[in-house]
Amino acid sequence: MRSVAFALAVVAILPQPAHAYLHFTTSRAGQSLVLKWQRAPVRWFAKDRGISGVSASDFQAAMARAFATWQAVPTASISFEFAGFTGSEPFDDDGVSVLGFQDHPEMERVLGATGFLIDTVTGDILESDIFFNAAMPWSTAAAGDTTRFDLESVALHEVGHLLGLAHSALGETEMRPEGGRRVLGSASVMFPIAFGRGITHDRELQPDDIAGVSDLYPDGDFRRETGTVRGRVLRNGSGVQGAHVVAFHPGTGGLIAGFTLNRDGEFHIAGLPPGPHVIRVEPLDDADPDSFFSRRDPIEVNFQVTFHERLFVAPAGGEGERLTVTVRPK
Amino acid sequence: MKARATVLLLATFAAGTLPSYAQIAGNRPVRRVEIDVGGGVLGGAELGSVDANLRANAQARQPLRLFTADSRFARAPVLRVRAGFALTRRFAVEGGLMFGRPEIRTSITADSEGAPSLTGVERVDQYVVDASLVMVLDGLRVGARMVPFVAGGGGYLRQLHEGQTVIEQGQVYHAGGGVKYWLLARDRGLVRATGLRGDAGVQVMRGGISFEDRPRPHVAISGSVFVGF
Repeated sequence: MRSVAFALAVVAILPQPAHAYLHFTTSRAGQSLVLKWQRAPVRWFAKDRGISGVSASDFQAAMARAFATWQAVPTASISFEFAGFTGSEPFDDDGVSVLGFQDHPEMERVLGATGFLIDTVTGDILESDIFFNAAMPWSTAAAGDTTRFDLESVALHEVGHLLGLAHSALGETEMRPEGGRRVLGSASVMFPIAFGRGITHDRELQPDDIAGVSDLYPDGDFRRETGTVRGRVLRNGSGVQGAHVVAFHPGTGGLIAGFTLNRDGEFHIAGLPPGPHVIRVEPLDDADPDSFFSRRDPIEVNFQVTFHERLFVAPAGGEGERLTVTVRPK
Repeated sequence: MKARATVLLLATFAAGTLPSYAQIAGNRPVRRVEIDVGGGVLGGAELGSVDANLRANAQARQPLRLFTADSRFARAPVLRVRAGFALTRRFAVEGGLMFGRPEIRTSITADSEGAPSLTGVERVDQYVVDASLVMVLDGLRVGARMVPFVAGGGGYLRQLHEGQTVIEQGQVYHAGGGVKYWLLARDRGLVRATGLRGDAGVQVMRGGISFEDRPRPHVAISGSVFVGF
């Protein structure tokens, strides 16, 4: 789900996150199951009705470009197939994945949302629908339209959800006087708050998105060519849950992030390019925590932004030394 | 007559006390192998200053800085071993191995959320295997024992971290010079010469652990003991 100004709760079937960059999961017998498609190509239908300014064929073309962008990730193995136009609506549990506009004026800050039908035994995604809020102004213009939201950018975000990726926290925001948040910048298409009208930057995936989808659908060399960082975040000797951990590779300029996902403060981030990384830990205070975590798992935000005192060197195809980052209360 | 006697005296003195050094400086034997072991310092070099950027919420593509990382290799002691072979009286070829454990130091500053600045440190094992062409500058020798030389060449750079779990490779080009000072030289026996050697120069490294695609010049100075066979 992506909002205009602040993040709403993540898709309802998401009880808790499991891994770095947040993959959607479900729980069975106390075990966490990562949601993912087991069969490819993933077939999708486009709703056969457009809206003012975006015809059904314009819509389909923008969706196809978004799917193609994810499919082109060289370190991931996932493919899609456009199955045709349909008169069905998104969120009908009919076993087919439908993408289309729906009019939800009451959801005044929601641009789009993704839903799933899953096999709760295996975690297989059986169907995933996406709606785009027809109450918002949309554009498919190649250069964007400063009065409208870029459909392809938001589609790229929602297709990331369709694949099983949850939200990334790689972004900075500020509070708006009228309420909600305004994004200042982000380093992930999966950041929950969209750029402003006419901005098309999110048509391109960022290293965090690529690492996330590659970790979920790894292609041959991904595991061999990238490394993993594992560690803990502690405050006063106790684990910090919900800390945002960012790995920065000065050689590529890439930022890849994850979270501490339990009360021991443990985290792991896969998909790091080999070599030295700066590790930065920050509280999750740039979006509504509900965008990332279940309300049943309260997170800790009372600590200062902290850099790990050593560089982390990611090995190719393995894990480096385990880190412990000690943070201090604000 | 007086002048002739003086020349003869000098000649006799030289022949009687330093015959081998005269040979080294002026008539160096060819096809001789020399082994050289020593140590020195490899100077630091900038690895680059990079901003960790977000994409700003603006129409034009522009960065929003999260923090700045300024990295460099720190100065480090090195050990080196070389083997040389005199091709002619003026030219020799050398192959060598240099080992050091430099630190990568990354200064993190200008955090957008006010995190205190910090310098993160990590150490790597660094090996350089290289080959050089050495030219002896006989015309600039100092006395009979000390001869300057210039050298240049290239080689292979290998950097390892944490039990060789991370391996980076690159190239090294070097140029410099130095002096050799003979302590012993003779025409027979297994050991034909021993002496001291000092080197100074620049090692230009490319590749390896690098944050920018540009060569990194490191000043290098070393001292060693050589043995000729």
